Amino acid sequence: MKKTLALLLALVMVLSLFAGCGGKGKGEEVAGNPADAIADEMTSADGKYQIAFITDVGALKDQGFNEGTYNGVKLFANDNNKSYKYYQPANGDQATDGDRADAMKLACDNGAEVVVAAGFMQGNALIEAAQAYPDVKFIFIDGWPLATEDGTVLTNVAAIAFREEQAGYLAGYAAVMDGYTKLGFSGGGAGTNPACCRYGYGFVQGAEAAAAAKNVNVEVKYSWLYGGSFQASSELQTMASGWYQNGTEAIFACGGSMFASISAAAAAEDAKVIGVDVDQSSQSATVITSAMKGLAEATVWAISKNYDGTWSEIGGSLATLGATDKAVGLPTATWSLEGWTVEEYEALFADIVSGKVEIDDTTVEYPESTAHVTVVPVK
Amino acid sequence: MTFLIQQTLLYAVPLMIVALAGVFAERSGIINLALEGIMIFGAFVGVWFVQMMQEVDVFIIASRTGDWMTLQLLALAAMVVAAILGAVFSLLLSFASINLKADQTIGGTALNLLAPALVLFLVRMIANQNTLRMTTGDAASWFMIKKSTLGIDRNTDLGFLGETFLNKVYLATYLCVIIFIVLSIVLYKTRFGLRLRACGENPQAADSLGINVYHMRYAGTTISGALAGLGGFVYSLTTANCTANGDVAGFGFLALAVMIFGNWKPLNIAMASLLFGVFKCIAAAYTTLDINGDGVYMLAEIGISSNLYRMLPYLVTLVVLAFTSKKSRAPKAEGIPYDKGSR
Repeated sequence: MKKTLALLLALVMVLSLFAGCGGKGKGEEVAGNPADAIADEMTSADGKYQIAFITDVGALKDQGFNEGTYNGVKLFANDNNKSYKYYQPANGDQATDGDRADAMKLACDNGAEVVVAAGFMQGNALIEAAQAYPDVKFIFIDGWPLATEDGTVLTNVAAIAFREEQAGYLAGYAAVMDGYTKLGFSGGGAGTNPACCRYGYGFVQGAEAAAAAKNVNVEVKYSWLYGGSFQASSELQTMASGWYQNGTEAIFACGGSMFASISAAAAAEDAKVIGVDVDQSSQSATVITSAMKGLAEATVWAISKNYDGTWSEIGGSLATLGATDKAVGLPTATWSLEGWTVEEYEALFADIVSGKVEIDDTTVEYPESTAHVTVVPVK
Repeated sequence: MTFLIQQTLLYAVPLMIVALAGVFAERSGIINLALEGIMIFGAFVGVWFVQMMQEVDVFIIASRTGDWMTLQLLALAAMVVAAILGAVFSLLLSFASINLKADQTIGGTALNLLAPALVLFLVRMIANQNTLRMTTGDAASWFMIKKSTLGIDRNTDLGFLGETFLNKVYLATYLCVIIFIVLSIVLYKTRFGLRLRACGENPQAADSLGINVYHMRYAGTTISGALAGLGGFVYSLTTANCTANGDVAGFGFLALAVMIFGNWKPLNIAMASLLFGVFKCIAAAYTTLDINGDGVYMLAEIGISSNLYRMLPYLVTLVVLAFTSKKSRAPKAEGIPYDKGSR
C-alpha cells in the first residue's frame, strides 16, 4: 500500500514537471499581430536589460492595455537589437506606490536606459524613481508631466496621453449607426481611472450624435461595478448576462481582462461586445468593433526619441495623441458593422481631425442623459 | 425567472458537489479542509486539458461545423480528467492523515496553500501569464447547449420549462446533479455507504466487525478529492469562462460552510447551496431581475443600497448558520486519526 502510494505521488510530481516543459513553447506561438512573434521574456548576454516595462494593475497578457503597450516595447527592441524585460510591481492589484517604485528601481539597477510605465497610478512612484535615476528616461503612458516637490519639472519623464474620448465617440457613433439602440458600458477602475472615464463619456457623446442623426432614442446602462481590479469575475459575467437578457444589445467592455467575462456572457446570449484599447476582434466572434488607441505605436515612437537624440522634444512635457496623430480609431479591416460603411467612418474621422466635431474630454464618473440618450447608472 | 433559475444553478451546482465532497471525507472520519485547494487544482487541470484538446483537429472541426456532441464529449472528458487528478491530489491528504496520522486540519491547510501556488506556477510556465485561457473562443460558444445547437430556431418559444432547462445550459450542471443524487444514495442505501459512515462514527466498532478502517477512509477522501476536482472544473467552466488562475473565489470554503449548514446530509446541502446561489445571483444581477415577468424590476426599485445586496449571500449564510449550528451534529470520529492500538 505504502509503496504504491509513494509511487503515485512520485508520478504526480514528475507529471507536474512535464506540465512545465510541455507547455513552454506555447506562449510564443505566432498569431496575427507581429508583436506576438516576439517572446515576452528574453535573456540578454550581459544580464542588462535596456528597455524596461512596468505593468499597470491586471495581467501582462490582458489582451488590452498592458499587452498593447508591451507590444510597443517588444517591437522597438526587436527592430533595434535592444534587450528588454517586463516587471510586475509586487502585490498585484493592491500594489502601492512603494511597490511600483521598487519595480522601477530594480529595472534601473538591471541596466535600463528607458523605462516604460503604463497607467496613471504610476505617477508617485515615477517621481521617486526619476529623481533617484536622473540618467534613465521614463515614459509615462496615460500620464501627465511630473515635477519634484519643489516644482522642478522632471525632464527625464515623458508623458503620453490619448484622446480616449475620441475613440469612445467613434465606437458609440458606430454602434448606434449600426442599428443598436440598447447599449451598455462596463468600465474598469471603479470610476477613478481617467482614461476609462473619457472612453465612457466619449461613447455616450458619440451615441448621442448618431441618435440625433437617425432620430432614435438610445439607452446606455453605465456601470463601474466589478471592475476595480480590471479582472474577469463570475459576478461581472452574471451582471452582463442580466443586461443582455433584458435587451441590451452591445456592451462596451472598457477594462483589460473584464473583456473575458463580458464576451462570455455575450456568446451565451448571442449578443455583441465592443472592445477597448486594442483590436479585440480576434478574441471573440461577439466583437463588433473596438475603440482603439495606438499604444504600441506611441510606445515605439517615444522610445525611439531616446535613441535618435530628440528626447528633449518630449521630455518633461505631455504629448496628447488623438485623431490628428491617427493614434485613436476603430479597426476598419476587422469590424463587423453592417449599417455603417468605412467611407462614413472616414468622413466622421476627418471631421474630428478638423475640429468640426467637438468632443468634451472632461472626466466624469456618470455622464448626464442627453436629448436622445438615456444614461442609466448601475451602482 | 428563467434567468434567476439558470444563474442560481450555475452558482449552486459547484457548491453542492464540493459540499458533498466534504461529506464523503468527513463521514469517513477525515476532515477535508483542502476542498478549496483541490478545487483550484481540478479547475486548472480541466482547463489545461480543454486548452490542449483545442489544438486537436477533431475538436477544431467540431467547433467549426457545430458538431455539439463531440464538444460535449470533450467537456465530459475534461470533467473526468479533473476528477481523476483531483483524487490523486487528495491522496496527499490521505497519506498524511491516514498513514502518517498527521493532524488533518494542518494537512488540509497545507494543501490549500500549496494548490494556488503550484497552479499559478504552472500557469505561468504554460501560458506565460497569470490566467490560463482557452486557446480560441469562449466556454459559451464551445460548450453551452443552446436552442441553436439543438437545431431549434432561435425564436421558437419552448415554454417555461424548455427555456429554463434546455436553452443556455451546460451539460456539466445536469451531470453534477445526477452524480449528487447517485452518491447520496450510495452513502445511505448501500453496504459501502454504511461502512463508510461507521468509520466516521465509531471506527473501533467498525474495525471489530472486520472493516478495514484505513481502506474506508482512503475511499472516502479519494471520492472527496474526485468530487472537489470535478466541482472546481465545473465552477471554472460555467462561471469563469473556462479559465484557471489559482483562485475559485473561496468556493471551497463556502462549500465547507454549506456542508456544516446542511448538517452533513445531502438533501439539506442541496437546499443550502440553492439558497446561497439565489442570493449570489441576486447580488450580481439585481438590477435586471424581473421575478414574475411583469416588466417591473422590483429589487432595483425599492431603493435599497446595492452594497446590501452584495452582502446578502454571506449575511444569510452567517445568520442561518447561527441558528442551525446548535442542531448540527458532526460525525463523531472526524478529525481523530485511527489507531488500531487504542481500541
